[in-house]
Amino acid sequence: MDRRTLLMAAGALTLAGRAARAAEEVVIGAVYPLTGNGASVGLDAKAAIETAAELINGTHAPVATLLGKGGGLAGLGGAKIRLVFADSQNDPQKARAEAERIITQEKAIAIVGSYTSATGATISQVTERYEVPYISADNSSPSLNLRGLKWFFRTTPHDIMYTQGTFDFFADVGKKTGKPVKTVALFYEDSIFGTDSSNVQRKLAEAAGIKVVADIKYRASSPSLSSEAQSLKAADADVIMPSSYTSDAILIMKSMAEIGYKPKAVMAQGAGFQETAFLTAAGPLANGVMSRSSFALDAGKTRPAIDPVNALYKAKNNKDMNDNTSREFTALMVLADAINRAGSAKPTDIQAALKATNIPGDQLIMPWKGVKFDETGQNILCNPVIQQVFDGTYKTIWPFDLAAEAPVWNI
Amino acid sequence: MDNAILRRRRRELWTGLVVLLVLILLPLPIHDVYTRNLIIITLLFAGLAQAWNILGGYCGQISLGHALYFGVGGYVSSLLYVRLGIPPTLGMFAAGLVAGALALVVGWPCFRLSGHYYAIATVVVGEIGYLLFLNWDFVGGATGVYIPFNGDSWVTLQFRTQKLPYHYVALAFVAVTWLAAWVIEGSRWGFSWRAVKDDVVAARSLGVRIFRSKMAAAAISGFFTGVGGAIYAQYVGYIDPDSVLAGNFSILIALPAVLGGVGTLWGPIIGAALLTPLSELSRSYLGGSGSGVDLMLYGGIIVVVALARPQGLVSLLGPRRRKEVPDVRPA
Amino acid sequence: MTETLLQAAMSGLLMGLLYALVAAGLSLIFGLMDVVNFAHGEMMMLAMYATFVIWQATGLDPLLQIPIVAVVMFALGVAVYRGLIARALSVQFNTGMVQIFVTFGLAIFLRGAAQLVFGGEFKSITSSWLSGRTVHLAGIYLPLPQVAAGLVCLLAFAALLLISRTEFGRALEATREDRDAVALIGIDRDRIFALGWGLGAAAVGIAGVMLASFYYVSPNVGANFAVIAYVTVALGGFGSLAGALVAGLLIGEIEALTAVVLEPSLKQVGVFAVYLLVLMVRPRGLFGKL
Repeated sequence: MDRRTLLMAAGALTLAGRAARAAEEVVIGAVYPLTGNGASVGLDAKAAIETAAELINGTHAPVATLLGKGGGLAGLGGAKIRLVFADSQNDPQKARAEAERIITQEKAIAIVGSYTSATGATISQVTERYEVPYISADNSSPSLNLRGLKWFFRTTPHDIMYTQGTFDFFADVGKKTGKPVKTVALFYEDSIFGTDSSNVQRKLAEAAGIKVVADIKYRASSPSLSSEAQSLKAADADVIMPSSYTSDAILIMKSMAEIGYKPKAVMAQGAGFQETAFLTAAGPLANGVMSRSSFALDAGKTRPAIDPVNALYKAKNNKDMNDNTSREFTALMVLADAINRAGSAKPTDIQAALKATNIPGDQLIMPWKGVKFDETGQNILCNPVIQQVFDGTYKTIWPFDLAAEAPVWNI
Repeated sequence: MDNAILRRRRRELWTGLVVLLVLILLPLPIHDVYTRNLIIITLLFAGLAQAWNILGGYCGQISLGHALYFGVGGYVSSLLYVRLGIPPTLGMFAAGLVAGALALVVGWPCFRLSGHYYAIATVVVGEIGYLLFLNWDFVGGATGVYIPFNGDSWVTLQFRTQKLPYHYVALAFVAVTWLAAWVIEGSRWGFSWRAVKDDVVAARSLGVRIFRSKMAAAAISGFFTGVGGAIYAQYVGYIDPDSVLAGNFSILIALPAVLGGVGTLWGPIIGAALLTPLSELSRSYLGGSGSGVDLMLYGGIIVVVALARPQGLVSLLGPRRRKEVPDVRPA
Repeated sequence: MTETLLQAAMSGLLMGLLYALVAAGLSLIFGLMDVVNFAHGEMMMLAMYATFVIWQATGLDPLLQIPIVAVVMFALGVAVYRGLIARALSVQFNTGMVQIFVTFGLAIFLRGAAQLVFGGEFKSITSSWLSGRTVHLAGIYLPLPQVAAGLVCLLAFAALLLISRTEFGRALEATREDRDAVALIGIDRDRIFALGWGLGAAAVGIAGVMLASFYYVSPNVGANFAVIAYVTVALGGFGSLAGALVAGLLIGEIEALTAVVLEPSLKQVGVFAVYLLVLMVRPRGLFGKL
């Protein structure tokens, strides 16, 4: 063989090798706060998304969920998912820059994100401009899917759906126990999450004929919440409805106990109240606290994938999956499923596949009816559940047919 | 002014022109979007730092609450666009005027406070601004202002993926702000501030005139900071109190000026050129691990530069420069 | 309503004492050498982590840890002075600004370091002698951890007062009055500064220990207290211990009562508004000597 042929052969082999390697992987980006104030949630999100990728890519015994067989994406010849994580530091400008970077430099074909709705707003603007899908795993602001974006897909319920769930529960449990909710106290932090949440709560309370006896907007991360606790005590509502992040959740429960106030019922809007750090720090004070949730760890009977997936996650991150991490895991699974069905890594194909998504509930780890996106990109089959803390762990109490425990209802 | 000074000032102008030319040409061979973004953010911070420098460096009033003007500027421009359809090419001037006026309102009672009391007062004013915007439904409260994309246009300063237009807007911003600093440096105000820093007795005798010139410095500084906020808001497409009015941002605006060299023409520019890429790159390439190493690096470098070059990095440009650097003690 | 107000006032009092102690350390350092220590909140954060770590490893109650952490923080304060601040003070230019930004850089560094070593999770001391215990007195609830914190703060103030009467204390005062002339009367200024920093750090360290018994610990927790601390010092007057105490109590009360009477989300605005008003009338704070 002469040198020229040798060189050409070598060149061809290298090109083939590079092409083969390119066909072997699909780059997906994830933007979360990995440093700064939201770091604890962001790092958990990273672990959850990595768990999903490992499940899809790895060789293991099949798990009863989407793409649970492992071995990569069959629709793309076994291509593996390669995750690229970027740190938003919970700042919309930085989130924007990072999303843009991983699309243009790392060639991500889709992005999953992002915890806060502010960062979700700017990331989804970037993905819209670059025409790649953005999967909102956990942004809960109701306005996000109403901006006319074509590349925005949200798997998680938003605040209106969540809050509707809590009021549906109030109606159901009131009928069942003969002790209906007559008064509520709204307690919410002053950022987007708190304001959005309380706005919906106020509206739905009025519609249900329930009186709001305290409407307390508090400064997030305050050194002290004693005065606020005192106001809650004075109002003595049937149910306190807090919208708080972890640190404030811990503080308000402690502050109420310190002034000798044991609320009749607490119905939290998820977030901080669902975090392990809250359960550990609040200890016995957390017992009886209810929260809306997207995830029911104890629904293993109807969702067989929960236990094996949770085991994988726990092995990686030393804690059980919760409301946030389960949604982040699910978002990647839904995205991967779409890519798989599209059989292609082209964003337009993935967009079409996402629009056609129709995943039945039992293929998920979530207690949802399924995943199906409406024209605005919102998943319309994701119904929340209500959970309550029993002995330091959340157990599902509603819908009654999914419930693992009967609610403790003392109003 | 004597000849040596005139020559120096002319030289500075020429240097400025050369740097401007370089910056005009800089992004053309660079096609990586992230790098172009990095340059834009750096230019914005350079302009903001220079605007701060007018009040904090030349005038010696160390404001640690400048984010207020930045945020107000961003909100004015964004709200004018989103609610009334007024494009930011006009709105940014309104933003600057409102911010400048606000700076006057703040300056009037605060300038009689000395040194650290003034600094803390500016922090407090900044915090009040943040809390007010957070709780004020008219400006969107905690939800902030989302700026929908309406197609590429130089009038509305919106571009789908192009970065070059933003680069030139940011460049124009920092160039004009630099020029303003140059003018002030050679003006009567500049002279009187320098005289006052060296001689407190002279300060007392010049009383009212100094006060009036400080107010002017505050207004000019506020104006440019507000314009910067308007550009930023349109570039990012979304603002909320946490991202443009938080206290941390005030420090980020002042930092490049201090590390680069306060009261100098090039200090803020050099400071921004070092710090902005440092913080952006360490976040992008080190932050992903979540370990906090990027913060340690950033903090460490600030300490090292502050100690090693207290007159600012600008002193590295030559021994002659070092002599001309004014010593700024809090006024 | 009266019960609510009384309860709020009591809580405000206890919190105010804590603010006062945090401010005392800051005021000491301010007054001594004109240094705005932007890392003060982070130093408190370190003390809180130290308390948590010691508690987790040995089960030692925070109350018992006070002397240990105070000593450790004292050493840290001296180390920060010798390692960084002394250098910052000796620069030829822009000393004022260099100090601000050196401490600011230190703050960022410490936050990153805390995240590296401890992770971003919120940590809490879940069982100590006083945790969860409340005393019910005349219709008012007094949570014991906060009461203990208040008492410890008062004791710390008394200790600081005693120290100010000693020779060291007088040397501190002299150095603050005229730091350039003290060398003439045989006071080693550098040593005084180092000890001043140590004392300031120990003070905020004690505040941190007490806070850790009822508040959560995270790398960013210092930021929650930072602005209030600076306002307290400025309101009381730089360099005045009595000022720090009075201002701390005042701010604690205003914050607590504004939260009940007006909107809780604006409670800090109440504090800031009062602060600015006072400053207009007394530009050097309530008791400021500088």
